[in-house]
Amino acid sequence: MLASSVQRSKSTPYPSKARSALIRRAVVVVLVLVALTLVTISFRSPTSGALHSVQGAGSTALRPFQIAATRVAQPFRDAYDYVHGLASVKAENKRLRKQNAALRASALIAAAKLAKYPDYAKLLHLERSSRFPDGYRPINADVISNPGGPFAHTLTIGVGSSSGVRMNSPVVSGDGLVGIVSNVFPDAASVTLLTNPGYYVEARDLTTGVRGGVVPSPAGGGTLVLSGVEKTKVVKKGDELVTNGTHSARFPDLYPYGIPIGRVAAKPGATDTAVFLQVQVQPFANLGSLDAVAVLVPKKSRR
Amino acid sequence: MTLGDGVKAAALLFVAALAQVSIFSQVHVFGAVPDVLLVTIVGFALLRGSVAGAVGGFFAGLLVDTATLGTLGLTSLVLTLAGYWIGRYGETTGRDRGHAPFLSVAVVTVLYQFGLLVVHFVLGESAPAGAVVRSLIPAILLNLILTAPIYALVRRLLRPLARDALSAEVQLLG
Repeated sequence: MLASSVQRSKSTPYPSKARSALIRRAVVVVLVLVALTLVTISFRSPTSGALHSVQGAGSTALRPFQIAATRVAQPFRDAYDYVHGLASVKAENKRLRKQNAALRASALIAAAKLAKYPDYAKLLHLERSSRFPDGYRPINADVISNPGGPFAHTLTIGVGSSSGVRMNSPVVSGDGLVGIVSNVFPDAASVTLLTNPGYYVEARDLTTGVRGGVVPSPAGGGTLVLSGVEKTKVVKKGDELVTNGTHSARFPDLYPYGIPIGRVAAKPGATDTAVFLQVQVQPFANLGSLDAVAVLVPKKSRR
Repeated sequence: MTLGDGVKAAALLFVAALAQVSIFSQVHVFGAVPDVLLVTIVGFALLRGSVAGAVGGFFAGLLVDTATLGTLGLTSLVLTLAGYWIGRYGETTGRDRGHAPFLSVAVVTVLYQFGLLVVHFVLGESAPAGAVVRSLIPAILLNLILTAPIYALVRRLLRPLARDALSAEVQLLG
């Protein structure tokens, strides 16, 4: 079978088909050449020449058709633009909402920082003024938490022993005395406020020189009392009180001299049987809302 | 191709070129522009063969270049080759295949985009290859969407020719 010859169909010549292929190729070659010629001429003289004129005339002739096509398509384009615009507006709205939320957050942070600014400014002013006690250096601190209620008289600050804060260090704000450090952690410390029951600080009337001890008012309300002032002494309403400071090196006071404490809030009075005057003092420092304070530590460590 | 066919084809390509220049050139979807003219030429070339495709592509391109006042002959050159190539495909392997228009449009869209890019590059004009590549997939999809209705329209206007009339030199076996 393999040996048998296979009957092959006789190859048919396609003279007309060959001619057709030739014509086809010739047409394409001519068209490509014409196109290349047009490109060359148009590229070489894009603003002048016969071809340019012909193109201009052709363009002018086509213009009405183009305008007609544009007008026919206008309603569809309007509809498309409307839908597309709607989608764009929705996307833009979403983006703007997101941006708005971010800006609000930024504004809130900025406002929060700005709200703290007055306290920082006052503190800086105090630290640079002559009223700042000699022999002490400030350790500035943010107030982490303020007193939580009417019965709370401590606050927490964001510096601790790692920054040099130690127990019983006086704490001041830009307005005046705040309290004393009552507990120290490596990176935080508790401050007992002036208004805490049992608090005591030696004070001096700057106007009259009268001395006494400032203690929290038994009535509460965030006010203080200047105790131990004999009836014979003179203390007037509006007098400013400052810390009395150390008078004997043997018995150093916890507070350096001259830290503003408060102002005499009312005319001092006393009953006939009383030995001491009743002097109400309004603290300078706004103990309810502090943002920044400074812990005063001695420049030379105490022995 | 009869005279009537020629007139129909001329009208079809004229309308397609005008629609492309006036309407569809302004429709941008994901950076791509749907090409009605290219799809029409593909349909025309598939139905009428390579010579008709090349001639149609040439004159349609000339029309586009004239209307847009672009470099004359540039679009003609690319569309001539596209029409010829698709026409050859229609005369040979693509004949009577249902997927032929879609396959042709997808391939020609890519070749047309890169062909224009190359020609512009050779002429020293702006040829942003990155933008062309980025818009390639959307362009293919858009043209494929247009393929079914346009091919149906072209087929309705220009009835498919008999096999022998389409290409004399190609003989299909079986």
